[in-house]
Amino acid sequence: MKSVFLAGLALVLSNSVAFADTIKIGVVGPFSGPAALQGKNFQAGINAWLAVNGNTIGDDTIEVIYRDLPAPDPAQSAALTQELIVSEGVQYLAGYYYTPDAMAAAPILEEGNVPMVVFNAATSAIVNASPYVVRTSFTTWQTSTPMAAVAHDRGIKKIITVVSDYGPGIDSETAFVTGFTAAGGEIVESVRMPMNTNDFSPMMQRIKDSGAEAVFAFLPAGPATLGFVQAYVENGLKDAGVTLLAPGDLTQEPDLAALGDNALGLLTTFHYAVSHDSPENAAFVASATKAIGSASELSFPAVGAYDGMYVISKMIEATGGNQDAAAAVEAVKGLSWISPRGPVSINPENRHITQNIYLREVAFEDGQYINKEIQTFENQVDPGWKAP
Amino acid sequence: MSRPIRDLIAVLVLAAVAVVLFFLFPTNLALLTRIVAVMLLVLSLDLVTGFAGVATLGHAALFGAGAYAAGIAAAKFGITDPLLMLAIGAVAGSVAGALSSLVILRGHGLSQLVLSIAVVQLAHEAANKLSAWTGGSDGLSGIAPSALLGMFRFDLFGRTAFIMAVVMLLLVFVILRVVVRSPFGMLCRGIKQDPTRVRAMGAPVYSTLVKMYAIAGAVAGLGGALSAIATKVVGLDSLSFNLSAEALVMLVLGGTGKLFGAMLGALVFVWFEDRISAINPFHWLTVVGVLLVAVVLFAPNGLTGAAEAIWKRLRRARS
Amino acid sequence: MQTVLSIAADSLAYGMVLFIISIGLSVTMGLMKVVNLAHGAFAMIGGYIACYATQQLGLPFGVGIVAAVVGTVLIGIPLERFLYRRIYGAPELTQVLMTIGITFIIIGIANFALGPTLKTIPLPSQLQGPVDLGFRSIAAHKLFAVAVGLVVAAALWFIVERTPFGVRLRASVDDAAMAGALGVRTKMVYAVSFALAIGLAALGGVVGAQLLPIEPYYALHYMVTFLVVVSVGGAGSITGALIAALLLGAVQTTGRYIMPEYGEFFFYLAVIEVVAVFPHGLMGRSK
Repeated sequence: MKSVFLAGLALVLSNSVAFADTIKIGVVGPFSGPAALQGKNFQAGINAWLAVNGNTIGDDTIEVIYRDLPAPDPAQSAALTQELIVSEGVQYLAGYYYTPDAMAAAPILEEGNVPMVVFNAATSAIVNASPYVVRTSFTTWQTSTPMAAVAHDRGIKKIITVVSDYGPGIDSETAFVTGFTAAGGEIVESVRMPMNTNDFSPMMQRIKDSGAEAVFAFLPAGPATLGFVQAYVENGLKDAGVTLLAPGDLTQEPDLAALGDNALGLLTTFHYAVSHDSPENAAFVASATKAIGSASELSFPAVGAYDGMYVISKMIEATGGNQDAAAAVEAVKGLSWISPRGPVSINPENRHITQNIYLREVAFEDGQYINKEIQTFENQVDPGWKAP
Repeated sequence: MSRPIRDLIAVLVLAAVAVVLFFLFPTNLALLTRIVAVMLLVLSLDLVTGFAGVATLGHAALFGAGAYAAGIAAAKFGITDPLLMLAIGAVAGSVAGALSSLVILRGHGLSQLVLSIAVVQLAHEAANKLSAWTGGSDGLSGIAPSALLGMFRFDLFGRTAFIMAVVMLLLVFVILRVVVRSPFGMLCRGIKQDPTRVRAMGAPVYSTLVKMYAIAGAVAGLGGALSAIATKVVGLDSLSFNLSAEALVMLVLGGTGKLFGAMLGALVFVWFEDRISAINPFHWLTVVGVLLVAVVLFAPNGLTGAAEAIWKRLRRARS
Repeated sequence: MQTVLSIAADSLAYGMVLFIISIGLSVTMGLMKVVNLAHGAFAMIGGYIACYATQQLGLPFGVGIVAAVVGTVLIGIPLERFLYRRIYGAPELTQVLMTIGITFIIIGIANFALGPTLKTIPLPSQLQGPVDLGFRSIAAHKLFAVAVGLVVAAALWFIVERTPFGVRLRASVDDAAMAGALGVRTKMVYAVSFALAIGLAALGGVVGAQLLPIEPYYALHYMVTFLVVVSVGGAGSITGALIAALLLGAVQTTGRYIMPEYGEFFFYLAVIEVVAVFPHGLMGRSK
């Protein structure tokens, strides 16, 4: 029995050595399900990169294999990841929208000799789960922390925080509260809302009663943001001058049309706006729009995927197409380049992306709602990362 | 054929299927292990729904209890022996089963479904709240099971996990065969058909069902613990309404009230879903929907029911 | 005091939205004895049609509502004829399997054809602004939802209790064979009630869209909510559904105001309490 397996193993390994001219990249993401839009953006980012750079690196041809993981489901993530490594023979793993899915894939990497490039999952600790994890997205800590400085600079003294009651929401709350109290501000109250809240009126009443000058909110991109922003306006908080501050998940571009005028003037901090003004971004948006089919669906996961593909291409160049995860990861530590989001680099210490975080204001320009960048916080590392 | 011989044949057939799958799909063992874990959940559901007539859309609560108990034991208390983790999972599942039955058995029919939903949602919320223990929505990671029996490491190909899973499934299968045929099992079937009559006969309905729930909980808990060992991460999905509903779909798909039906339903549903979603990761849900509708239209008694009907027709044609 | 009134206003509005989108399911589950898990899918179809009519075609909101109801019923009729008719009287679990299958198909098609983004139904200007209630202001569309809910409850009660159709419907439900023997065309009665139920779903989808936004997974997101409201009220009971929706709306709103961290716990504990005391739902008939 053992010999059969060794034969199988040999077959898999010989596949990747003898036919090194095709390098497979396994991409795991939510291509169906409630977050299908984000999976679609993974694919758009990948296709945009391939359209600009071609699908060959040196003598090697890149082939992308997609696997659907519609919801956080670590057991399925582990099964898909294992299947991609041992059955499809992928040399690189990429994607991963939700934290538990990335966590479940991480323990397999070392034995499989495969690096993983995370396109989205935003919990700081993921990079500690394996030395072969590299991340090209952001962490919730990274996007939330600069908002504390924004609030302070605007002379806001008393703030209430309102976040969705789950991992990223709690990260966001902790990051903001840490930064804002360090700057001398006062947090009058911290409220956590159940994930499936759909009527936000009671929250708004509470915010009013708290006497805060501003509210810091975190909600995941998607349906709930609509009700939240609407309740904020309808309950008179906007008119009363209670400023709404949030990480950019609240105003991702595909939701902006639905949020409409209610969102105008909202302040968010994030790593990427589709409207970012640079030649790199113009090229990216053009080719990603073509890839996704409709300009209104383009969102931040696409840029994580686009930059992730760049990182993988550098890994392939460095290893000459051979399967050597350690060398591949080593080669991109400290790598810096100009991304569509601005200048970025891979922090050699924790393999997470260092990038600018922008303060944006929702505006209506040229017939569409955009996140208009108005201030830049340069070269932000992940403040939530702790050495293991 | 006498019963022991038939049982032996059933076990041999199952073992043979497992061996064939093992060699036919050596690179898909992680998926197959996941299927075994789900099979245990669906078997457990079959015990309370198929055999005892309790309608529930919250059965994942028992699976999740096993998964989290085993996971927490490993990640927080350093109990990394896989067999010990399985035992902890089974006990936790059993306790969760007995406790949740106290709530679920208060209702009948539709209200029972809703009580079961409330139970699983409360469990889900509680696990989300207790993130210091469960990791909340980020999942409980840091589970590193030690080698099985001190000899067999859990490897990349998932061989150890799969073999352990299959051996456990066979054991559970044999025990459940005994349970469902025992006077206790017969009593449960009686309760399913007519609880009033069973009560009139003087048999204890309530405590019988609680016991059945405790047994079912142990089976589901084993499944959860297996999943925790094989995946090394436990997520909130293991305690979700979605998983509960999927388990019910698999059970009805395979055929209720039959142990083979539960296992076949889990195998077909998960395998089909995996293949279809690999072929088209973007629009496979429609195809799964069509499968479910087709099953209702053409095999209303589930896959095993359809197989039995065909078998009977063949025998009649021969005689 | 002001806080109490304020919570009461929010509870009423939210409870009424729950009522409008759940009442159609109460008809299917209580009167037709079909566990229709695809109820939310029909509400979603209604929402999509209204969105298309108002945004793409530029029709007024009122026309959008009518289009949503009529369009959803038209889509539902063949489904009733070819699929639902096969599961009338079937075991509950078979119905669950079939209607989950239908839900998956509708979600898949919506995701493919309409994309995964959020859709909104623009409100007419009369329903947009806030309305001053004296102690606070509340969104006009919420008051509209309350009004629609009351009208629906009254109309439905009238249809079921006071019209010849209602008599035939109740007869068919109690004993289909006997009703058939007495000359009631039960198939027709069932088809009409089904149309009524999904028409109500579509109406609820549109009116509730401000709180429950339309997107492909709408059908699965709120499935549990609909089921809970209907069973707590007692399937088939209009008053029951109304009381349940208002009660659960109040529990949820109050919980979210006072202790949002544990909001869901209050909600489900309340469900367990009610069902434990009233095993057939608040106004359900025991069989």
